[in-house]
Amino acid sequence: MKKRFNPIKDKSSEIIEYLMSSPDIPDDEALRFKLRLSIEEAVENVVRYAYDGGIGWLEAEIRFDQDTLVLTIELRDAGVPFNPLERDEPDVTLSAEDRNIGGLGIFICKKMMDDIKYCYEEGNNVLIMTKKVG
Amino acid sequence: MDIKIEKQDNKTIVVLNGRVDTTNADQFQQDMEPLMEGENPDIEIDCTDMSYTSSQGLRIFLMLQKSVNARKGKMVLRNMNPQVKEVFDITGFSNIITIM
Repeated sequence: MKKRFNPIKDKSSEIIEYLMSSPDIPDDEALRFKLRLSIEEAVENVVRYAYDGGIGWLEAEIRFDQDTLVLTIELRDAGVPFNPLERDEPDVTLSAEDRNIGGLGIFICKKMMDDIKYCYEEGNNVLIMTKKVG
Repeated sequence: MDIKIEKQDNKTIVVLNGRVDTTNADQFQQDMEPLMEGENPDIEIDCTDMSYTSSQGLRIFLMLQKSVNARKGKMVLRNMNPQVKEVFDITGFSNIITIM
């Protein structure tokens, strides 16, 4: 299933709930937790940073391959070109005083999903996250 | 999410119920701001019914910890469920915040 949200300012919650409503997500609490977290972090990155003032669109898609049992979440936007995977990973060994929250969202996605890919395609940022389920 | 705040002796008890996420992180931060100043820095957070946190919630726990450290106090998060604990573990927050 796929839906374009426009504009996306203050729409994070709606976009997250749309993806989480997919009948392809198994009724497994631990898995749903990991997916929700990855979706929230990825969607928030677009809603907060892709467009100046959040005025722009985001296309959210979730699909399931019955043969490979792989669930794919794809986010597409036409905002500022930005590859979140190129960001420096946060140093998780620092003290509280030296820690900040930058880069933590996409780091969490990487840990929770099996794979994340980014490409810039026809003027769009495309983020593809996959996880094998079942 | 539901937040209860209670003063007990020289410390503050916070009880969290529900998800800490993008929809309520700003409210959570506003509710916690008074705890980030004053003479009694000790905080105990009951996480029994906190079902979820994203980096939005972690940001606020980090702010609390920094403010507690600066005032030589102690903060403890109690009874965290295993999934929420995993988020604290993978981000290294378990090393800088006391979880019991």
